[in-house]
Amino acid sequence: MATGQASTKPPDANEYGGDEISALVLDPGYTTTRAGFAGEDVPKSVVPSHYGIMPTDSGPKQLFGDNSIHTPLPRISISNYMSREGTVEDWDTAANLWEYAITSRLTNAKPGPLATNGLNDVESQEMEMEGVETQEKSLRDNPLLMTETGWNAGKDRERGIEIAMENWGCPAYWLARNGVLASFASGKSSALVVDMGASTISITPVHDGLILKKGVTRSPLAGNFVSQQLRLMFSQSQPPIPLTPHYLIASKTAVDAGTPSQATLRTFAPNTEPDPSFRHFQEERVLTEFKESVVTVWPGPGRLSGHNQQGGTNMDIARQHPGKPFEMPDGWNQMFPALDRYRPVEALFDPKMALSDASNPPPHQSQVVGTLIQTSLAQVEVDIRPQLLSAVVVTGGSSLYQGFTDRLSQELQIMYPGTRVRISAPGNPVERKFGSWIGGSILASLGTFHQMWISKKEYEEQGAGIIEKRCK
Amino acid sequence: MPPFKDEHVLIIAPGSQTTLAQLGLPESFTPARLRIPTRMFPAERKGEWEPMKVRERKFSKAATRDGINGHNDGDVTMGETNGTTTSAEDKEEETLYEEDPTSEEGAVYPLRDGRVVDWSCFFALLTHVYNTLSPPFHTPILVIAQPQWKLQDHENLTQFFFEKFKTPAFCLIDSALAISYAYATPTATVVDVGYEKCEVSIVNEYFVSDLGRGTPLLDCGGEAMTQRLLKFLSGKGFTRDMCEQLKKNPICEVLLPGAELPVEAEAGNPAAAASTGVTGSGDGHRESIAAQGGALRGPGANADAGEADEGREFKDGEDDDGILDVATIVASGKTSEFLARKEKEKADRAAARKKDAADAAAASKERALPNSKRAKANFHYHERRPLEELNANGKRSTDGEGGQDGGEPKRQKTPEPGAENDAQAAENAAAIRKEERKEERRRNREGTAFIRKNVEVGPERFQVASGGILDQIADTIHQRISSVPEVNKRSDLWDSLAIVGNGSRVKGFKEALLATLNARYLISPSSATIFSSELPSNFTTPVATGANTPQPQHHASHHGPGVNPLLLAATTASNANLAPPGHSQQQLHQHLQQQQYYQQQMQSHQHSSHAQTPTSIKLLKLPDYFPEWKDIGVEEAVFLGAQVAAKVVFVVDQGLSKGFMSRTEYNEMGPQGIHESCL
Repeated sequence: MATGQASTKPPDANEYGGDEISALVLDPGYTTTRAGFAGEDVPKSVVPSHYGIMPTDSGPKQLFGDNSIHTPLPRISISNYMSREGTVEDWDTAANLWEYAITSRLTNAKPGPLATNGLNDVESQEMEMEGVETQEKSLRDNPLLMTETGWNAGKDRERGIEIAMENWGCPAYWLARNGVLASFASGKSSALVVDMGASTISITPVHDGLILKKGVTRSPLAGNFVSQQLRLMFSQSQPPIPLTPHYLIASKTAVDAGTPSQATLRTFAPNTEPDPSFRHFQEERVLTEFKESVVTVWPGPGRLSGHNQQGGTNMDIARQHPGKPFEMPDGWNQMFPALDRYRPVEALFDPKMALSDASNPPPHQSQVVGTLIQTSLAQVEVDIRPQLLSAVVVTGGSSLYQGFTDRLSQELQIMYPGTRVRISAPGNPVERKFGSWIGGSILASLGTFHQMWISKKEYEEQGAGIIEKRCK
Repeated sequence: MPPFKDEHVLIIAPGSQTTLAQLGLPESFTPARLRIPTRMFPAERKGEWEPMKVRERKFSKAATRDGINGHNDGDVTMGETNGTTTSAEDKEEETLYEEDPTSEEGAVYPLRDGRVVDWSCFFALLTHVYNTLSPPFHTPILVIAQPQWKLQDHENLTQFFFEKFKTPAFCLIDSALAISYAYATPTATVVDVGYEKCEVSIVNEYFVSDLGRGTPLLDCGGEAMTQRLLKFLSGKGFTRDMCEQLKKNPICEVLLPGAELPVEAEAGNPAAAASTGVTGSGDGHRESIAAQGGALRGPGANADAGEADEGREFKDGEDDDGILDVATIVASGKTSEFLARKEKEKADRAAARKKDAADAAAASKERALPNSKRAKANFHYHERRPLEELNANGKRSTDGEGGQDGGEPKRQKTPEPGAENDAQAAENAAAIRKEERKEERRRNREGTAFIRKNVEVGPERFQVASGGILDQIADTIHQRISSVPEVNKRSDLWDSLAIVGNGSRVKGFKEALLATLNARYLISPSSATIFSSELPSNFTTPVATGANTPQPQHHASHHGPGVNPLLLAATTASNANLAPPGHSQQQLHQHLQQQQYYQQQMQSHQHSSHAQTPTSIKLLKLPDYFPEWKDIGVEEAVFLGAQVAAKVVFVVDQGLSKGFMSRTEYNEMGPQGIHESCL
């Protein structure tokens, strides 16, 4: 506007990075699958990785997206395409769900040929269907950057490019480790990435933008483990605390703390009840709310099971701390004393504090976050350890427990006295939740990254094995 | 570039059913002056579109020569490109193309579920809107973007507007953001109930949150409600069109969740209810009516002798209401009964006549009840008769009232009552009005396309939003707000609900949705916190920047200082969890530690609300400085927001903060540039 004159010069190709080529970034996780355009600051499409299965006459029907999996449809069951290890388990469903995540919010399912999009005058119908593929592929125009875990290996790495190239017709593809991307998201090329997800907590050492594969450690002591601890806490308390998900409640009335609820429950006609997996999934929603508003990490000093300088136990001190009320969807409410607030997450640091029963054995000392970091650092060269410790990047949605980063910092300082330990965790929960996606968005929009893409031509020449050669 | 003027701004808000548009910003923002259905009809040539149904009409040349000419003068309206007579000297018959403004036959709706499904048709519609308003050359255009439009769609539109209309400036604004502008609030939970879908969007600090926005809720819009009515009433001869009109009638109402459906017994005539076999419970009632089939009878009538029934039926049935067919009345021998009823109406519903005494009392009592308590209500609807049928008859409809009511159905079809439109008919709307009047005149000349009928509906009219529509919307609101990563924002979002969209215009819908939310999700103040001097929520995730500022206020002991210890002990005795920690076995060093702990906490933690939500659920109120919007409701608040945005972006700001894309920018960056300046 300042010039006031129309510029006829086309924009310089180097001037605009990923915006011009509209690359897509796809970051599958256990709870959600994130997809969006490179260069944006949040993923536009966040789709639950859980999906619904509806039994119909013509075989089971898969339902994707928030709207369908929270509705108690007749005999719906809930499943997840990701395994508990955080890798893709069901590839067919994964491909469908990914395509849904991309086409529902980002691209149009079929970007029609230019001749028929209404913007161009077509004089005659003769030129129709000449060079245009009859079957439009959904991602014909978008290069795709996908993320994988640090322990993804073998054939699984090749499946992604096969889907992208064969099913979707992507012009280019890249596969990046999510630990590396999370370190990019916090502006570091060398970092020790602590990724606290739903199914897995993983430690990924990153040096100069490359993953140190030997040093990758992981354990299942993450978000879902805390949920399980909460379920145990509810069922083992006297009397047991009822856990009724929202979909079963027609209406609730306020009751006094600790007294049984007086909610009107919803009833389902016989043979239309949702599957137990649906209930379990909906209960997770309540547990998430509980985790967000009640659960907090023991702030220290020391462990919850430990003693303080005066000789008293930390448990006694914790009893002095204020509790917090929580109301269940059915109206049952109670003040949860501080000990109950600390206890479910304490097991992430201290396996002795874990609640357990026959089907949920207590975790092992080697699985807690401190030990994982120790094991990981022991695998990397001595001289880069201080560098990594000075750049500990905490990411992942489950790291948002109140006080988690403070406690982690304390634990690391005790383990590595004399070393400068610096934790970098974004305060903005969005950046924490979508750390690896944001890193991918940054990477794919860098002008210098464009020479890295694996093009469709290269894929056609060398096959899926090219992934092992190019994406280390 | 010269500055933009208020009167040049063009605003277009496309919807799945109705597209709103306006040229110029009035002194005080008004509802949209132009509303046209979002549909086009395929023209003769492929790829071309007509705004109205054009049909062929064959005329025998000699007989209607004059008629054709007369019609031609009146009929040629803008957009009718091929409305020409193909008169050939040697032909016996002549084809006349005429527009049928009421027909929907063959219409193409380019927007489905908020998505553009037919670009060629959509562009034709936008062109039609543009031509109707015929703006001057220096006109900036603001378009409301549907939430489901993707980046590619934004680019298509940008390219279209710049290249087709050579607009100097173009702005796309998200509909949810426009609504937050209308409500003048930076934070809002926008529930937009549309035609076939419902969108729940989170606006956070004037940014539409993409997280958790997801896809629209299908089958939760106005059409789903019509279908719902149709499901219950189709057995009684209701058509979809009748249900649609019933839905817009104030007798159709969404009752609060848990409210009993009114039954006929409530009319004060239990005997009648018993005699018709109508049971007390809502569910049973529904079934029994379905079983009864078509005939619905008034309670009083049933209790009376059968002869009164017949007279009643003539009124209730499909016969036209309002004509005093004296012959029929006399012939049927019900003259006295008819006169009695007439008298009764005159006597202000109070006087009891000999035979009709009980009946009248019951009826008047029923009339005094609010709609939601009445089992039945009368309902006038308009039935459309195809023009060709009327033309074939070649005579005026026999319907007495039809002529006067000819203009009304058109208004009814649009969700907004026509009265407001009339009141605000301004210079650029004048053309449209003129056209409408012309239409009306023509219809009067040829006979009307609509006839008015009367029918009685039972409590099915309260089932309009049943079948889980409210539940699903409520659950989605809860789920979307819960997906906002900033936990402390959620309570603000619950306090700023905006329920908009014409689907929410059904009487009682908003109240029922709010009540559903309250019944299912509201967290009542826990009795466990009565002794807390403040919410025990002083722990929070520390900010990693290290900028945690120490809170100046001293943390009081967590049980209120003024609480009588005896009262405290008495109330907490039954519930161990309520006993304030450390109160029973206090020791000195623990107290000390506690003090230290709190001090430490205060230094390292910021006070923020990490509590469960919602503790309150509130609807936003439209600011009252827009008097024109006061009466017509908030359903189309998106258009108010569009005007606010247009004023800010084009007139006040003049492009300083990149609120719109100028032609220069378009020339430099191409359609992709819209992503950088799109609101």
